[in-house]
Amino acid sequence: MKRRDFLKLTIYGLVGLSINDVIAIVNTKELPELVVVEGPSHSKITEEAIDALGGIRRFISKGDVVVVKPNMAWDRRPEQAANTNPEVVQTVVRLCYEAGAKKVKVFDRTVNDPRRSYVQSGIMEAVKKVGGEVSYVDDRKFKEVTINGEVLKAWPLYIEALEADKLINIPIAKHHSLAKLTMAMKNWMGIMGGSRSQIHQKLNESLADLAIVIKPTLTILDATRILIRNGPQGGDLEDVRVLNTVIAGIDQVAVDSFGATLFGMRGEDLGYVRIAHMRGLGNMDLSKIRIKRIRLQ
Amino acid sequence: MRAIKTLRRFSQGFFLFLFFYLFLQTESKGYDELGYPVKVFLDFDPLIFLSTLLSSKTVLKLFYLSLIIILITFFLGRVFCGWICPFGTLNNLLSLFKKKEAYRFKRFQMKYYILFFLLSASLFTLQLSGLMDPISLLIRSMTVSIYPAFNYTVRSIFDFLYSLDIRIIREVSEPVYSILKSSILSFEQTFYKQSLFIGSLFILIIGFNFYERRFWCRYLCPLGALLGLFSRYSLLKRTVSESCNSCGVCERNCPSGAINKSKNWLKTECFQCFNCDDLCSQKAVLAGFKREKKEISFNFTRRKVIISLSTGILAVPIVRVNPFSKEEFLNPRLIRPPGSLEEKEFLRRCIRCGECMKVCITNGLQPAFLEGGLEALWTPVLVPKIGYCEYRCTLCGQVCPTGAIKRLSVEEKAKIKIGLAMIDKGRCLPYAHGRPCIVCEEVCPTPKKAIWFERVIVKDRDGRQKELYQPHVDLELCIGCGICEAKCPVIDKPAIYVTSIGESRSKVNQILLP
Repeated sequence: MKRRDFLKLTIYGLVGLSINDVIAIVNTKELPELVVVEGPSHSKITEEAIDALGGIRRFISKGDVVVVKPNMAWDRRPEQAANTNPEVVQTVVRLCYEAGAKKVKVFDRTVNDPRRSYVQSGIMEAVKKVGGEVSYVDDRKFKEVTINGEVLKAWPLYIEALEADKLINIPIAKHHSLAKLTMAMKNWMGIMGGSRSQIHQKLNESLADLAIVIKPTLTILDATRILIRNGPQGGDLEDVRVLNTVIAGIDQVAVDSFGATLFGMRGEDLGYVRIAHMRGLGNMDLSKIRIKRIRLQ
Repeated sequence: MRAIKTLRRFSQGFFLFLFFYLFLQTESKGYDELGYPVKVFLDFDPLIFLSTLLSSKTVLKLFYLSLIIILITFFLGRVFCGWICPFGTLNNLLSLFKKKEAYRFKRFQMKYYILFFLLSASLFTLQLSGLMDPISLLIRSMTVSIYPAFNYTVRSIFDFLYSLDIRIIREVSEPVYSILKSSILSFEQTFYKQSLFIGSLFILIIGFNFYERRFWCRYLCPLGALLGLFSRYSLLKRTVSESCNSCGVCERNCPSGAINKSKNWLKTECFQCFNCDDLCSQKAVLAGFKREKKEISFNFTRRKVIISLSTGILAVPIVRVNPFSKEEFLNPRLIRPPGSLEEKEFLRRCIRCGECMKVCITNGLQPAFLEGGLEALWTPVLVPKIGYCEYRCTLCGQVCPTGAIKRLSVEEKAKIKIGLAMIDKGRCLPYAHGRPCIVCEEVCPTPKKAIWFERVIVKDRDGRQKELYQPHVDLELCIGCGICEAKCPVIDKPAIYVTSIGESRSKVNQILLP
């Protein structure tokens, strides 16, 4: 152990973190930055991905109020791959509670009717089963946030997401005609209020701007099923590819960059990834990222 | 006989509660099936059954339920009015504020003439009975006006408390609000065209109770009249024994106005409430199954019967000599709910009860004013700017009591066109303003999208080239759901909009070769 690490350990010990937390902090240098897990059980691969990143306790502390943001914007069934896999979301919510989270909130500002989207996606039921709090977006709970981005100077964002102790993004990887692909960075449109359809005029810049103010604790990209055409809502099972994969990481730019490879693209092919990378909001260069691949049976 | 009165009050309370409970359940919970028999009061309604039978010459699927009411009326008289009808009970409750005095308007015949008018119009295919059927009227008025207004009031109060931003207040008000939201409030605030018109009529009608108790039930209700006709030979009879001292307490307290000078009884008017029996100090009122012929059977004047019948017949051509009766005269914005029958048959069936508007998940179904001619007053029209037709939602067909909107499976519905989308190139961002926008395509719900892009290179004002995607509508795939119109960022007058052309239900209103 280096002296610096020893000092760190002492300080954190004094602050009163549990042993697990301390070990996690000590070991981050050796941990992978991106974990890609493939396997038939969607809950197991999710759990494994988080474990390989250092375990849920690296991200969630006792008493945390956690917001888990899946994509459940569409009135579609899970097998249609328009919304995040409910089993993946459920696993993350369960793990947060196991790590001592006080509350785990799940919501999305949907495009289709919220009731149908929450129910048909299967996410509401799955999350409630493990004690998560699912709520519909309340129009009063948006707050104008100063962004000072290139395009977005200020925008109303959902207070509950802003005030959460920890923010976990669980997008699904899908085709999108303008963004080409929608994954982690674009999933934050789900906490935008106002007339968000306007941002499509400068979508890439806007998404990079959002990344200035929204800093997720953890991102888990659901690629158990991906939608390769007619996104972002699909509807035809012919357009779905089953990959049984999840990708976990802290840097959402890196996650999106890896996600692009699932569709035969590279991170720099996506405007928002490229812009975010150039602005230093994340790293899209996969050759410079420690990636760990795991295959479960 | 206080027991009977208590029993009646219990029955009235039960059915009123049931009515409002089912009304509140007429709302999506996110599942494909609604799961509650929300239209059951309409299923039991003999006037709806009979007028639909006459106007569209079809027998409703659940017609046997209304036969139960007819049968009960045959034996016991208008117990429906006194014991079951939720609108009757509502009128009854408001009547409590009115001093009890003998009736003064005395035009019982009016409701019969209204009934004759409605039925003869029905026979000649003009279906107007739902405008005045009490169940239909109550559901429509509640849906379009009273319930949204109630919601608005409650929501305003809680929004105000929330906006104060005082922690103690919020900690009390927010939990209360969330309980209300999950019980008696609608999922979202709804808005309806015609709410003032329909609401004012409703308030006027129930306001009549302050002029005379149960005014509507006595003089206007066509369902009451129909049941009155059926009750003419009912077996349950009121007789008055010799001990009657003509004190008049029964007459003053009779909600139906069926008692005249204590002893005379208008059988067809009686709600079988048993107030007279309860209040008689001499115990002189006897109710029973007797074969005596004491009661006055109701007499219509032949002249007025003929007038009301022929007015009903005459109303048909007068309403119909309107350009909307011409097949090719179409209002492009007359977009009917998915599964609606062809317009003529639709109008013969639709009773404007408002069930579809209540259940519509996006609030898009609105009562028409004159969009389809006077005959189509208050029939449902989709207004995409208010709410689009949710692709996998089939609730309107599930709640329609007369089959004017067919019940569809999710798969069947996906194949039905209610119109087609057209692009206004003068307003569309990629066409008119050289700016990227793909929202209509993004939200288009058909599995293979009905909106596709043409990649074009345009020049900006400085001559720089720019790549853009301009949307086109695939008329074969478009179903006219209107989500593109509802979500178009050009919000005041959307750059893509739906018109009724191409609607599956019409042979004439088509654009493509068959």
